Order: sequence, then structure tokens, then C-alpha cells
Amino acid sequence: MNFKRLLKVLLPLIALLILAGCQKKSVESTTAPVEVTKDVLVIDLVSEPTTLDPHLQWNPSSFYVYRNIFDNLLSRNTDGDIIPKVAESWDYVSETVVDLKIRDDIKFQDGTPLTVGDVVYSVHRILDPELKSPQAGQFNAISNVEAIDDSTVRLTTAKPYPVLLAQLVKLSIVPEAYVEKVGYEEFNKNPVGSGPYKFVSWEKGIKVVVEANENYWGGTPPFKTVEFLAVPEKSTRLANLKTGKSDLITSLDEDLATEVENDSKIKVLSVPTERIAYFRINTLYGPTADIKVRQAIAYGIDKKMIVEGLKGGYSKVANVMVGQTSFGYDPSFEGYPFDPEKAKALVLESGIGSTEIELLTAPSVFDQRVVAAIQQMLSDIGLKVKIVGMDMSTFLQHMQSDDSKDMTSFGRWSGGVQDADGIMYAMLHSGSQWANIKSEKLDNALDGARTSLDSDVRMEFYSEAHQVVQDEIPVIPLYEVGSIYGAAKELQWKPMADESLFIMDMKWGNS
Amino acid sequence: MVQFLVKRIFQTLVALWGVITLVFIILHFAGDPTLLMLPESATAEDVARLRSQLGFDRPLIVQYLSYMGQLLRFDLGTSYIQNLPVSEIIASRIPYTLTLAFAALLVAIGIGVPVGIIVGLNHGKMIEKILMPIVLIGQSMPTFWSGILLIMLFSIRWGVLPSSGADGAGAVILPAVSLGALSMATFARILRTSIIEEMDKPYVRAARAKGISFGKVFFRHVFRNSSIPLITIAAIELATLLAGAVIVETVFAWPGLGQLAVQAINSRDFSVVQAVVLLGSFVYIILNLIADLLYSIVDPRIKIQEKTS
Amino acid sequence: MKKASKNILPYLFAFIILFFLIAAIFAPLIAPFDPVKQDLMHRLKAPGTVTDAGVHILGTDELGRDLLSRIIYGTRISLLVAFLSVIVSTVTGTWLGMLAGYYKGWVAVLIMRIVDIVLSIPPILLAILTVAVVGPGLGNLVFVLGFTRWPRYARVAYAQTLTVADKPYVQAAQFTSVSTPLIFRRHIIPNIAAPLIVVMTLEFGLMILFEASLSFLGLGVQPPTPSWGAILSTGRNYLSIAWWITSFPGFCLFFLVLSVNMIGDFLRDYLDPHSIRR
Repeated sequence: MNFKRLLKVLLPLIALLILAGCQKKSVESTTAPVEVTKDVLVIDLVSEPTTLDPHLQWNPSSFYVYRNIFDNLLSRNTDGDIIPKVAESWDYVSETVVDLKIRDDIKFQDGTPLTVGDVVYSVHRILDPELKSPQAGQFNAISNVEAIDDSTVRLTTAKPYPVLLAQLVKLSIVPEAYVEKVGYEEFNKNPVGSGPYKFVSWEKGIKVVVEANENYWGGTPPFKTVEFLAVPEKSTRLANLKTGKSDLITSLDEDLATEVENDSKIKVLSVPTERIAYFRINTLYGPTADIKVRQAIAYGIDKKMIVEGLKGGYSKVANVMVGQTSFGYDPSFEGYPFDPEKAKALVLESGIGSTEIELLTAPSVFDQRVVAAIQQMLSDIGLKVKIVGMDMSTFLQHMQSDDSKDMTSFGRWSGGVQDADGIMYAMLHSGSQWANIKSEKLDNALDGARTSLDSDVRMEFYSEAHQVVQDEIPVIPLYEVGSIYGAAKELQWKPMADESLFIMDMKWGNS
Repeated sequence: MVQFLVKRIFQTLVALWGVITLVFIILHFAGDPTLLMLPESATAEDVARLRSQLGFDRPLIVQYLSYMGQLLRFDLGTSYIQNLPVSEIIASRIPYTLTLAFAALLVAIGIGVPVGIIVGLNHGKMIEKILMPIVLIGQSMPTFWSGILLIMLFSIRWGVLPSSGADGAGAVILPAVSLGALSMATFARILRTSIIEEMDKPYVRAARAKGISFGKVFFRHVFRNSSIPLITIAAIELATLLAGAVIVETVFAWPGLGQLAVQAINSRDFSVVQAVVLLGSFVYIILNLIADLLYSIVDPRIKIQEKTS
Repeated sequence: MKKASKNILPYLFAFIILFFLIAAIFAPLIAPFDPVKQDLMHRLKAPGTVTDAGVHILGTDELGRDLLSRIIYGTRISLLVAFLSVIVSTVTGTWLGMLAGYYKGWVAVLIMRIVDIVLSIPPILLAILTVAVVGPGLGNLVFVLGFTRWPRYARVAYAQTLTVADKPYVQAAQFTSVSTPLIFRRHIIPNIAAPLIVVMTLEFGLMILFEASLSFLGLGVQPPTPSWGAILSTGRNYLSIAWWITSFPGFCLFFLVLSVNMIGDFLRDYLDPHSIRR
């Protein structure tokens, strides 16, 4: 009786189970024997890309992958200098007009040549409201883009815009004909670019596979196939590296790095990035509106101890809100010395008493050891600090200036342009959504630096800005975040400060 | 029976509507994804522009109605983050979730049920005191710990099983063991308790006194009558497994629904979260329906029709 | 001999639980170090390491804090959270499940569909919402844990009540106008208690682990306050270079879970109406 009906319910389930069994792929050889040439390079990322359409998102896991499929208009070398890529040269016609000479020997992977039209199209596309690109804000200073002849693109900005070239480093060129033919959704699924690697497949949640573009204009790619795996747990990434399943892993931490150093088959690759770890203090609301409290905090945090004790020397102490490899770095600033006695005195002077200071952070993203260490240092000087963790989205909402919930916070910040403008304008200019300080002097300096093309003038403005930050303490720069990778011994590669991962820069071998 | 099912399907639809509405409200109070999608240097205008492009500046009720309208047309929508149809994103994960869930259930039941029977029949004896602690080790091992421990032993030290991923049949073993170990104690203990209770009942003693073989009494009556709580728990456990095992999937980089759900929640990818929850609750409700039907099969005294009378 | 062992074991397990309770209550007196005091120069030191501050019997953690002291203090939060959330979800779930199984009809429909809805909502989502709307706090943590776990008890209570409610003695009681609360107390609760106790004791250990994952989302106790769950989950990153960080709280958790489960079984035997009749 009931059994028959029951069977009807159960059968689809069983069918699903069988389907699941069939779904399993045959075992692929993931542990290739050590040899001089290597066919398949496996790279572990923390998560899979969100999309491979280079104009649609802004996060490392995506651009690690797509920057190998697409070529950007400009590029950077490992020293951080801007170098030619799709544009072979550039020329400032006036303060607001730049002419870029486009290479004529580049072909997209579908065989069509890359033209000035594709460059113009790429700029238009990223700014197109229909596309809803989160990157639009990086390019909307461009007021006009046009091809003035077969090999020159002219970019016009409304005002002088000193970081224009730095922004163009991030502009991927997409093929107009292909995108318009297949539509945005299909392009997202099957991206075609002009880069050294062609998109092959994407098994959702597992890996993206790309293969060498034999006709690449910039030379022969070093590996036939590259696989990008999504491995969220860092211990698992390390296990993959140790067992030879993977050849390069991203986002190691300092303690796991020491374990890599103890293993003779693998090695650590690291570089200080343009990302700055900071301790932000609200100057507008709450107990920290008192400058004495902020000074006490500045004297009370032992940056050297954090960098040496916790970060294992992979990160560098920072004294200004911009990294050494970026424009606007001023070595003459030395920051506040660690002076707990002075800090204690300032705390007493301020009369803050046992008022609680909240320390906001996002535990799943930022290093909680540093947060705990700072909390300890501040309670040592007599401040009562309460750590408040939350998920990243809620954290960002609390960071916005019109929200007084952000008393102090710990996080990391990258401007993405290797220029002080990227971090400082967004974080400190009173017109920005993130600002926790209102200072006319600071605003003037940041505006001045943003609208001049003269690097000496700009540098002067930034030194002024650094001075205001040092005096007013809306934020304490802590350290330049080191990016730590683990790699097989044979992999030769120098990581980049802007967190790019170009396979073309890699080599396999012992020298 | 037919009437029961019709009523139940109607109730299911109401429950699903409740889930969707509740999750919608929760998600929208927890903030939209614009801030996460933009680069750090984004200005307030950038935020406002993207927010309006994505439609999050509309009144909540308008967003709700448009989402419900979409669902009624069997359209799960598009992911804001991945720019792909949600159905496609979900579909790619289902086979992996099913594989892991049933493999883990196999481990849990394969060990838990025999152990439960053995200790239930040997109540108070030495074997019970040895077996139960062993099973309970699994229960008290957090999966993030046992998972990494298994990787260290089987992948790094002995190199017999892959450390992560979903390539090949070997890859499911470690996550399934890690996950199954957690629920095997549940099965063993629930079954043990019911068997002890059942064995105490007069009919068992009467049957044994009449000379009916023990095996017959046990499987015809004792095991059958003991299985109601077992079915209840199995349905809940399976539903939980099918909704995705977040931690195990994360540790072993297993591309299941759990990881997807957490990533979608963290990135506020509303339509993906909604779809995963919807799928989960659907599976859950179906499994409980099966459990309710099974009650009346193993114990005909429970008449399902009565429940709606 | 069989009898003797039956009598000693419950005391042994009760003693273990008592031991952890004492550790929790008298933590400041027992712990050799301040559990939040860091020493960045002596991070990840093996058990037995001697520093200027003294002997770290179980070693130090990733911030150079004394592991033994952290485990002792951690007992407080872990026991409290586990105990409270299990009570909240047991009481809520059992009553609703019993009512559904006893009254059937629309009561059952309403309650059991609510169970379906609640079980479908991911706990993480609820945790994020709670943090965003009402903020962190131990009470909110217990609420989230209780709210997401009660449906399990409700399902079990419901299924068990269904089998009991039709029994002659319950129906007889109904006809002889025994008051409904009395029927619940005298006939239903004793007959459905056994599997519920098992569920309770199993959930107890899980709650300790869940506390850790929710504190990551900002719910419940925040660092540096130690809890077993937090020690275990941060320690997993150091499994290959500092095994002690996860192993010792892991052992504690095992002994606690074992004892609670074993006591649960003895409790079940004690409450079992049939064994009393015997």
C-alpha cells in the first residue's frame, strides 16, 4: 500500500544519488614528477574568482586569474615603475590630455587584432551604467576617450588627474567585436582576451583552468596549462603544497611560513605590498575625540614588537599611511616612539577614567593576533579597550563616517594605485565616506596633491598631509602588510607589491 | 493518504513562503553588498551609484514584491556578485553536496547503528563501556580539528589520500569520515536507548519465554520499534548534511552548498543565499515528510491521517 | 562485580563534571597565570617551558599566553554557554513538540511547520543579523543557539509523543478527566524523556564548539576572554607546529562530553518508568 507511494518519493532521491556518483571525474594526475619543464602549474587561491569578466568585480582572487587572460593597458615592473603593455608609450599633451600609442602586433585569442577601437570600447564599457561595474569609480575621472588615429587613443580628464596612469594599470582591454557578438553573460562565462593564457574551463567551487596562448605577442608562456584552485583553509593550502598537489599557494601566515622554511622541497616568497595595516581613531565622536587619548594610544602601541614578534619580519613598520613602493612615501617621518610611561601620563591627564573604548574589527579577514596584542598594549597603559568583532560587511557599514559606532578600528587598506592618493584621500579627506576627521589643512593638502601633475609639488602636499596625520592622529599607520606565498623550490618568481600574479614572470627550474 | 499529502503540500508551500520572507527580511537588515563590491577608494557617490544600479535603493516592499514575482515565474534570479543565473551556480554544487552527505551518512550509520545495537543488547556489560567512549571521541572532535589531523596523517605523512579537492573517489573519504564521525555517536546512542527500553517490555520476555528465536524477536519487533527516534534523527541529520557542511567543506576545499551559502552570506549575494536556503528547506521538509510516513510504516498504530483530523 | 562497576562509574563521571565546575568557579585561585597576559617573545612554547614568569605547564599559545590558565578560565564561558543554550532549547523544543504530538490537528500543523521554517534558516545568518541589530553579548549568543537548536528537540518530542499518546493508559487518563498538565507530567514526559536526554547530552558538546564559530561573527564573548571553542578554533592553524594548543582543550572537551553523555545514560536508566517498576 504505502510502500508504492513511498517508492515514488524515494526513487528520485536514489536517481540523484546515482547521478552524483557519475559526476565524479576520473582521477587526474596532480602529482607530476619533478622535471625540468613543467606542463601543469597548480596555484592555490583562497577563493575562486567571483567573475572572469575583468570589468565586473574588484578582488584579488579574480584578478590573480584574469590578468593572465587579458592584457592591461599599462603594467608595472617589480620595482613598482609603470611600464608599457598594450600601450607602448604615452605622452601628456596638456595637463588634462594624454595620448597613448597602442601596439599594433597584439591579437586577441580568437584571432582578431587588438585595435584602438577596443581600447576606447573598454573604457566606455567599464563606465557604462548598464554594466554596473564596481570599478567604474576608478575610471570616472576620464571625461572623454577617443581614437585620434589608427594607433593613438586620447584620454581627457576634467581636471588634472595625477593617478590616471596608475589607474590605467588596472584597465583590462576586452575585444569589442566578441563581447558585442556574444553578449555580457556569455562573455562572463567564456572570456576571450589578448593575454598569455586562454580560458579553458571553470568547475565552480573547484578550479579554473587556463592554457597557454601559443600566439602570445609577448613571448612563449612558461607552462602549458595552469590551474587555479579555490582552497579557503590555509592549513589545507600548505598541505597541498607539501604533498605536491600544488606548486604555488597564496596568503600564508607568518607562523605557517616558518614551517615552509623547515621543509627542503618548498620555499617562502614574500614582498611588502602597498597595503597598510592601520589603527584608526575617531576624532569626531566619543572618548577618542580628545587628542590626549589619541596621543596616549600612539605612544602606547609598540609597532616594532608587533612586526618582529608577530609578523616575523615579513611586514615592515610603517610611519606614514603609504607604502615605500608607492608615490607619496616620506621617510623623514618616524612616527611616535613607543613610550608607555608617557602614554600612561597622557591617559591620566585626559581623565578618560574607565570609559570603554571599542575596537572594531572583522575577525575573518584581519589578523586577530595583532588586534589582541594592541588591546593588551592599550590596557597596559590604563585604557579600557573592548574588542568588537563582526563580519566584513557589517564592519564596513560601521566604518562609514556618518556612523558613530566606529571609535577605533583595526584593518588593512590598499589604494590599488601605489600612490598616496589611493589610501589617504579616501580615508582622510572630509568629503570621503570613510573620513573620521574634518581638517581643512588636510583637505587642502589632499586636494592639492590630487590636482597637480608635478611630482615635486605633490610630494610637498603629501608631506604636509603626513604632518597633519601625525599631529591629529586620526589613524596610526602600523605596518606595510607583507604578502606571503609558498612555492615549490623549482618555481622562480618575484611577487609584486600590487598583488598581481603574472604567470609570464614565472619560470620553472633551479636557477 | 492522498488528502494527507495534498494538505501537506499546501502546508509546505506556506512554510517555504515563510522561509523566503524571513530570510529576505534578515538579509536586508544585515546590509547590502555594495560596500563589499567596491574598491576601498570608492567615494560615497560610487556607493550610491552602484546601489541604485543594483536596485537596493528601492523601497523594501518593492524589492520584496519583485523578488516574489520572480520566484513565481520559477526564476531564482541572477547573482549580483557572479553575474550568473543563480540556478546555474546552485546546480553545479548539488552533485558534490549529495556525494558528501550520503558518504558521511554511510560512515555515521555504518558505524553508529551496529554499535548502537551491540551496546543496546549488552547494556551494563564491559563491551558497552569500551565502545561508547570510542564512539564519543568522534562526537567531541571538532571537525576543523579532526579534518586537519586527517590531512596531516593520510595526505602529508602517508600520502595515501588527496589533501583536498574533489577529484576522484578518494577525495570524498577524508571529508566523509570527518563529518560522519560527528554524527555516528548520535545514531549509536539514540538506538542504544530505544533498544534498552524495548527489551524491557513484557512482550519481549513473553516471546522469548515462548521459545521464539532471539533474532526473530529482535528484528521483527525490537529493532522496528526502536527505530522511530532513529528515523527522526536520521532525517534531521541528513537534512543538515544536505544543507551543506560548512566547516568540513572549507577545510577540504569541497565545492558543496555549505561553502557556497557562507560565501554568499558573507558577500551578501542575496539571490544566492535565498536560493540555497530555499533548496535546503525544501529538502528538509521533504525528508521530514518521509520520516512522518515512515513512522506509520514501522509502527502502524501511528496513523498519519489522524494528524490532520 | 558487574553491580559494583555499575555503581562506581556514575560517581566517576559526576566527579569529572564536578572537577570542571570547580575549575570554572575557582579559576582565579587555580590558574597559575593571568589568562590574557601576553608575552610576544615567548609564543608557541612547548609544554614545560620555563620563562621569567614561571613554568608554562601546558605551554603557551600564539600570543605567548599560558595555555593552562586559558583552559581553566575558558571552562567558565564554555560550560555556561553550553548549559544555558541546552536548557533554553530543551524546554522550548520539548514543550512545543509535546503539544504538537498530543493535540495533533492544526496545533501540530502550526508548530511543526514553524519547526521546518526555523530549521531552514542558516544559524550564521541569524548570528549576523543579531550582531547588526542588537549587538553582541552572551545573552544574545544563548538566544541564537537556543533559537536555532530547539526544533531538533521538538521533532524528537513530537515523534515520541505520537507513539505515547495513543497508549491505553493515556487514553484512560483522558477519559477519567485527569487534568491535562498531570497527563503530561505523569504519562507523557517520563515516556519521551529517554531519547530527549540523549539529544540534550549530545548537543551539550556541540554548543561548546558553536560558541567559538559564532564569536568569530562577533556574537558572544570576544577576545581576549578565553573559551575552549575559541582556543580550539584558533589553535587549528598551529596543529603542525604547536600540537598542544588544540590537544589539551580537545582532551578536556572529550572528557566533559563523555561524562555528560554517560551521566545522561544513567539518568535515563534512573528515570525509565519500566526499570522503576521492576
